[in-house]
Amino acid sequence: MATTREKMICPDCGVEMNHHADKVDYSAEPEDGAPVDPAFGGIVEEAHTCPSCGRTHTRRAEAEA
Amino acid sequence: MSVERPIFIPVILGTTRKGRASENVARFVHTELRKREGVETLLVDIREINLPTDDAGEAIKDSGFSATVSRADGLLIVTPEYNHGYPGMLKHLLDTNLKEYIHKAVGICAVSAGGFGGTRVIENLLPVMRELGLVTIFWDGNFSGAQKLFDKDGKLLDESYVKRLDKFLKELIWMSRVLRYGRENVSLD
Repeated sequence: MATTREKMICPDCGVEMNHHADKVDYSAEPEDGAPVDPAFGGIVEEAHTCPSCGRTHTRRAEAEA
Repeated sequence: MSVERPIFIPVILGTTRKGRASENVARFVHTELRKREGVETLLVDIREINLPTDDAGEAIKDSGFSATVSRADGLLIVTPEYNHGYPGMLKHLLDTNLKEYIHKAVGICAVSAGGFGGTRVIENLLPVMRELGLVTIFWDGNFSGAQKLFDKDGKLLDESYVKRLDKFLKELIWMSRVLRYGRENVSLD
């Protein structure tokens, strides 16, 4: 299961972004070296949106040990 | 609630076929959407996006389309019903993005030659929308007998569509605003 890390900072506004969604990406290739979460069968991507400019950025969630 | 920035809702014309009746519908809904205060829109014609057909997904992303969807707060898709289904090229285009759609509103205007207003293509599109991360509204646009709905200059001949579309657009704008607020302020954690 994904865990929460430090808040993402909007690269344009410099403010903390809001983590509002997790989405499983099944398309990543194993050789990509991505942390496939066995519970989901794919890579969990976190979606974060900036409350100032509205831009959304994603990052890979860290799998629980 | 953040209301300073206008809501951005592009209209996607979802067919490339010659003689497409959906073009008149797309222009009509785009014109009506442009009249709304606090809303920006753009007509996206998928005919103008030259996607390769020998690959799929994010590998063939069109940067312009991705930027439009990234900026969007909601999407208005105009799709014809072809043999009860949606155009392959529309699905091909939608599949090129993923994270750009998450927690954004979508409304569907369906176009048919027959009398059911594309209800079947809408039902077929709903699970696709959900998997993409979009949030569907509960109003639809149903355009029946599409070849006779507009005159040769593209003017709408049945004004009742204006009133029905008003309900659809109000719902789509409301949902776009609410989801923007959620994306920016309501945490998953």
